[in-house]
Amino acid sequence: MTEILRLRNLHKSFGPLEVLKGIDLAVAQGEVIVLIGASGSGKSTLLRCINFMEIPTSGRVFLHGTPVGRQTSSGVSYVERELTQIRARIGMVFQHFNLFPHMTALQNVMEGPRTVLKCSPDECRNRADNQLRKVGLEWKADAYPSQLSGGQQQRVAIARALAMEPEIMLFDEVTSALDPELVGEVLITMKELADEGMTMLIVTHELGFAYSVADRVLFLADGNVLEQGSPPEVLTYPKEEATKNFLRGHSSFRLPEPQLD
Amino acid sequence: MGYQFDFSAVIGNWKLLLIGLQNSIILGATCLVLGLSLGLIVGGMRYMRAPIVNWPATAFVEVFRNTPVLVQIMWFFFAFPIISPVEINAFTAASLGLTLNTAAFSAEIFRAGIRSVEKGQWEAGKAIGMTYIQQLRRIVLPQAIRRMLPAFMNRAVELMKMTSLASVIAYGELMHKAKQISTLEFNPIEMYTVVALIFFALIFPLALFVQRFELKLKDSG
Repeated sequence: MTEILRLRNLHKSFGPLEVLKGIDLAVAQGEVIVLIGASGSGKSTLLRCINFMEIPTSGRVFLHGTPVGRQTSSGVSYVERELTQIRARIGMVFQHFNLFPHMTALQNVMEGPRTVLKCSPDECRNRADNQLRKVGLEWKADAYPSQLSGGQQQRVAIARALAMEPEIMLFDEVTSALDPELVGEVLITMKELADEGMTMLIVTHELGFAYSVADRVLFLADGNVLEQGSPPEVLTYPKEEATKNFLRGHSSFRLPEPQLD
Repeated sequence: MGYQFDFSAVIGNWKLLLIGLQNSIILGATCLVLGLSLGLIVGGMRYMRAPIVNWPATAFVEVFRNTPVLVQIMWFFFAFPIISPVEINAFTAASLGLTLNTAAFSAEIFRAGIRSVEKGQWEAGKAIGMTYIQQLRRIVLPQAIRRMLPAFMNRAVELMKMTSLASVIAYGELMHKAKQISTLEFNPIEMYTVVALIFFALIFPLALFVQRFELKLKDSG
């Protein structure tokens, strides 16, 4: 396995509040990792430290074995220019989509290649067309975000991230803000991406999705990785009491298998 | 009421009034351009957290928003020259007063406009690898300026009205010319009525346009 990302003893504090308390994680090329845990356990912060939306308080991030930032006597120092380049290589999708409302779907997807990668107009157009087709929304290319459903907006947001041809994709609770009937289309898009071999780190409360898509599930509690393993290991046969409690809360009420023929 | 209206003196002095109107517009346009530019800078300073930039900008905004423009203009004409090494004529003094006043108000418009754009917009730009400047230029400002436009247009309307204050320091704008004419011709009723009408004809279409524009913005969300 080729290692694409490694986190070493990553800490993050907001003022006096320590949110991440020393995370170690190695991610293989093409691996799909799902992060679960109660709110406040540090899942989103962990994701946001990987592409430096938040600067870790201490610890190191390695991309393809190369450390980000420079070690100095007083800790790791980061140059904004390097972080900008790292962010361009790592895609991120947000809970609230955050599409640019003054641009059409197509312009949203073209924006990264155009402004950040300085691609030619043809190349930008090509990439955007391809990615919109991939998420099944080429027919909505000229629609503005306000004219799209939540699920469609989120798929455009995925296309926008993919147009940068990222090495890793980060998904931060991307279905949490969606009406239940729109969740499926977004999860299917993500599943297809996983099947194509994209390296993905996903924060989600959709445990069924986690079970069927993840190569590895991490359970975070109180800023630490408390338990990790294959989906059955963590989701079906959890060892830690905290994991069991979390899963109990999530499966108090369940449908028997609906007959949908 | 046996007053006989007589507009002949007004019409006979049309050239003088035209020069006055021209000067009014020159003063208004100069102060609008300078005021908005300075306002952008001051607004940016107000947006930053570092006290060394924030405090002077805040002090500037508060002083110029909370003192009458008439006082500012008089101060720049009568008081400032005493402590200033450079000559200050009526146009400069009026421009200083009106520009700084416009800058103070538009700084707040800029600041509020940029603040009104959700944090997620900055983040989305950042996440695809944009620099701070790119986020501002491509994502935040286009959205913010749309929301700021009605407020700026209102500023322009206010500014155009305030140019008449420059008459107190004898700058030759419309109001000052009118005062001269009416003193010579003893026709204050006709003269000031016409001045009011000229201002109305100049400003009303602008105000109407602002209202239309605000409605259109509201419709398009």
